[in-house]
Amino acid sequence: MTQPLSKSIVIWAMVIVVLIVLSAPTIVVLGASLTSGNIITFPPDGLSLQWYAKIAMAADLRNAFLRSLAVASICTLIAIPVGTLAGIALSKYAVRFEHALQIYLLLPFTIPLIGSGIGLMLLFGEWGLLGQIWPIGVACCVINLPFMIWAVTASASSLDPDLELAAANCGAPPVATFFHVTLPAVLPGVISGSLLMFILALNEFLVSLLLTDARTVTLPVQIYNSIRSIITPDLAAISVVFIVCAALVIALLDRLVGLDIFLKSK
Amino acid sequence: MPKSAYLLRWRVMDGLEALVAAIWPRHFHRALPYVMLLPAVLLVLLLVIGMIQIGDSSARTLDRSTFLPSDFYTAGNYQRIFTDGLYWSILWRSLLGSVIVTALCLVFAFPYSYLMVRTPSALLRKFLLIALFLPFFIGQVVRAYGWLIILGNQGVVNEMLGLIGVAPIRLLYNYPAVLFGLVQYMIPFAVLMLAPALTAIPEEMESAANSLGANWWRTFIHVVLPMARPGLVGAGLVVLTLSLTDFAMPAILGGGSQDFIANAIYDQFFRTSDQGMGAALTLILVGVGSLLVGVVFTLFGAGTLAMGRDRK
Repeated sequence: MTQPLSKSIVIWAMVIVVLIVLSAPTIVVLGASLTSGNIITFPPDGLSLQWYAKIAMAADLRNAFLRSLAVASICTLIAIPVGTLAGIALSKYAVRFEHALQIYLLLPFTIPLIGSGIGLMLLFGEWGLLGQIWPIGVACCVINLPFMIWAVTASASSLDPDLELAAANCGAPPVATFFHVTLPAVLPGVISGSLLMFILALNEFLVSLLLTDARTVTLPVQIYNSIRSIITPDLAAISVVFIVCAALVIALLDRLVGLDIFLKSK
Repeated sequence: MPKSAYLLRWRVMDGLEALVAAIWPRHFHRALPYVMLLPAVLLVLLLVIGMIQIGDSSARTLDRSTFLPSDFYTAGNYQRIFTDGLYWSILWRSLLGSVIVTALCLVFAFPYSYLMVRTPSALLRKFLLIALFLPFFIGQVVRAYGWLIILGNQGVVNEMLGLIGVAPIRLLYNYPAVLFGLVQYMIPFAVLMLAPALTAIPEEMESAANSLGANWWRTFIHVVLPMARPGLVGAGLVVLTLSLTDFAMPAILGGGSQDFIANAIYDQFFRTSDQGMGAALTLILVGVGSLLVGVVFTLFGAGTLAMGRDRK
């Protein structure tokens, strides 16, 4: 269908504005990290990788990054089985109180992050769990769990239930049916959901801010604490670590399931 | 070698089947979905217990002489919140801000989503998706940091203005800066919630409206927009609740002068150390947020937010 010119102009003008606004911080952070000066200026003083060399030497930043990786891994490892089972159960079976259950499982989204964070902080504090890494991973998993369940239900609802019956009819026992029919069908959802969980936990800021102390500070919190004082290019260089991670996850998503999965109508 | 591997796999599978059959006999199958849901329910239960803890703290006022929460329940914290103008102004600032951010996000996310869904070029679609996911996956702190570099007093914009002889303008630490940062933060959410709804609209619908004589604007208003309602509801709700409760953008781009409710809560816990007051504010925020979600759900349905089988 050919589009009228005025429509194309309106759409493109707005899309270009959005593109600029979306990309500006990323580009500027990338540029600032390469500056050879001691402060960030525009136009840049010159190009150098000195800030990368500097952050590579900084043990506190490296440790903060490793802690963020640990948090994201724990979060993802919990989310995969929990979210997959829940997603399959919700999309395949007629569950009693389904509506109430859905509302309940959406609680991590309807309770504001600050509420969830403070609640978990009080709870973990009472249980003596603060000051460790894994409770932060659990917290990140709880607050983002609906993403995982969504991703799995989206895949599972495209699975024809007759396929499982057919497998059973051909003599496959339940576990074999699960591993050879059900699981491959929901695998795209599991992959996209777990990548999402990983990157969101890697970036998670507010809940980490509430649950971490000086010994367990994660990288986003570390950056936040440093922003307050003065803007130096080494912060830009660390931020590039996040940009690289984001790019990696996008490449993986595209490779494994295709980014188009997010455009599918449910 | 391959043959023996095969047999081992069979034996493992047989063992698994036997194990599962032993611990989960067939006649239990009706309970299966509940067992599958149990871990998720237990995880979310952590939040529920956390909320109960907050409720408990919120009903205890801080004793100024001992700096301990009171042993008895009182409504003192809530009374203070409702009578103190400061909290009203923070609540108002957050509510107004989130409504403005939601409106802006929907307006700008719609054409982006539309172009992404409708373009015949797979390359352009991929480019738009990547441009969307990259900031989405970078995280709020880094993005806010990028805006500090761009909008700061010695930032990119002011340096550029300086080149043409304009004195630096204070672009940061004000309300519009916070709203701008929030819009940028929320647009990927809005686009991603809108896209499935737009995909569901058959292109023939638009062609049909066109061939019946509607120009593109009327087609948009009378065909595309109403059919995109589930997406608009989903996107609007997500943006509204997330920006109402945001912490990082007001903290970083507002510089302490543009606090939203979440910042006020944080300050009560970590600056004033008045846990009861912070808990009361948290509960009010949860209440306001749930009220908004509830109103939208009952008015428009769950939109693209629904999980599970029966989607509307």
